[in-house]
Amino acid sequence: MIEVESLTKRYPSHEAVSDISFTIERGEVVGFLGPNGAGKSTTLRMLTGFLAPTSGTARIDGISVLERPIEAQRRFGYLPEIVPVYDDMRAYDFLRYRAELKGLSYRAAKREADRVLELAGVVEARDRWIAKLSKGTKQRIGIADALLGDPPILILDEPTVGLDPNQIRHIRRLIKSFEGEKTVFLSTHILPEVEASCSRVVIIRDGKKIAEGDPRKLREEAEGQMTIVIEGPAEPDRYIEALKDCAPVKSARRGEGRSVEVEAMPGDESLDAIFNAVTAQGLGLRRMERRAASLEEVFVGLTTVEELDS
Amino acid sequence: MKGALVIARREIASFFGSPMAYIVIAVWLVVAGASFDFIVRYFAESASGGASDTPLRGWFQMPLIYIAMLIFAPILTMRTLADEKQTGRIEGLLTAPVSPVAIVLGKYLASLVFWLSLWAPTLFYIFILSRYGDVDRGAVLSACLGVFFLGVGYMAVGVLASALANSQTVAAVLATLALAGTFVLGLGEYIASDAVADILSYVNVYGHMEQAAAGVLDSRRVVYQASTAALCLFLAIRVIDHRRFA
Repeated sequence: MIEVESLTKRYPSHEAVSDISFTIERGEVVGFLGPNGAGKSTTLRMLTGFLAPTSGTARIDGISVLERPIEAQRRFGYLPEIVPVYDDMRAYDFLRYRAELKGLSYRAAKREADRVLELAGVVEARDRWIAKLSKGTKQRIGIADALLGDPPILILDEPTVGLDPNQIRHIRRLIKSFEGEKTVFLSTHILPEVEASCSRVVIIRDGKKIAEGDPRKLREEAEGQMTIVIEGPAEPDRYIEALKDCAPVKSARRGEGRSVEVEAMPGDESLDAIFNAVTAQGLGLRRMERRAASLEEVFVGLTTVEELDS
Repeated sequence: MKGALVIARREIASFFGSPMAYIVIAVWLVVAGASFDFIVRYFAESASGGASDTPLRGWFQMPLIYIAMLIFAPILTMRTLADEKQTGRIEGLLTAPVSPVAIVLGKYLASLVFWLSLWAPTLFYIFILSRYGDVDRGAVLSACLGVFFLGVGYMAVGVLASALANSQTVAAVLATLALAGTFVLGLGEYIASDAVADILSYVNVYGHMEQAAAGVLDSRRVVYQASTAALCLFLAIRVIDHRRFA
């Protein structure tokens, strides 16, 4: 579990992180989304004990990172923005060294190094000099490093940066597979990353938290409405007619094929109301689905609001 | 302190895996060998009397050796912490479950190994001389201990400089300045008045080594180098730990 309470980092010239609070429960995969320079890395550095906050606290499984850093650090694997690899080592030797640094015995470290190479999909780089590896491979060795010792918590700073599309898919699948087992907190400025891997998102801009929650709900909130596509055996026009007096519905129009696109107030209540309105007219309903807008749009919406405020 | 040993082992492997190690040792051996050759020739030609005056003692008492160390010692330590900071890898170290104490001690331990490996080849000189005459074992042991304790202090100064500097070059320059400063200050013992000379004798590294070569194990030498090491390492740990509050 990760708890962040009023975390602030102030530098003489500016405030990098202002009063950020959030909690991540065990087994959650949470994204930390924001444009470059928003304060993501600074927050992660305070969370991992590399930087001391100016004020506020960060706790890992209830342990204050500032007061008992080593105990807290035993519980997480961390991929920093700058992957801490040594060019003059072979990938396997580096991971064995890191495993021992994390307290594993010599024998366990050897086993772990091979296990994480496999997990991160970089077995082919095992005996190669790190200096000779591509950026993407170095990045995945950094991810392998974070996985050493099978920590219950993973803190990943931009895990897929520098990877090619295949490698990105592999890492996202890997992260997704941790859901329910490990607590994962990953920062990114790439929106599809959050959509692909995370059940929840914390959005940050200019050092301030501007939103938190289910990425889909945030999308709806940002737009103040949601789009629902319905389809049934009757003519589309009859559905549009049926929804005319339905309160949460703002508009309804013909969509692709026989479908109808309905714009309604966000929330599950709207779904109920639409269902009731349609069935009250004796119309059948074979398909009803929410269509989410891209998170990108939400993000633009949120940050625009923020900009107007400041 | 397992963390310190893991860090030391990696550091040592990295040092000896780089050409730097061999260049430094080779250049040092040219300096050491040339001065040894000079001393042996000098003794052979002058055939001076005193039984206590041996080529080995003469070599260990050459100021050139210790002036060379003002350059070589910082080269051994400059990389230790400055490089981790310069590359940003320090984040990976400080967020692993190891304390700044273990990080600094690990780097220091590795530096001591570098120091010993720098001097180890010169044991060959002792071997050569023992083939052609008697070697004063006591004096040799005392000189070797003197060299060891010199390293105890010098490596700690170097590690502190490396903790303070943001680049290897700056670390080396900083350490050389600190070591040369105290070296020259210590030489003041020979020109200062009695009371001041007494104080300066504590920091007179050359004086310590001169005595050590003569077989005098001065506890002041041990105390001076050990306390220098303790102070420098303490400060280096504080510097590394304090980075968090930057």
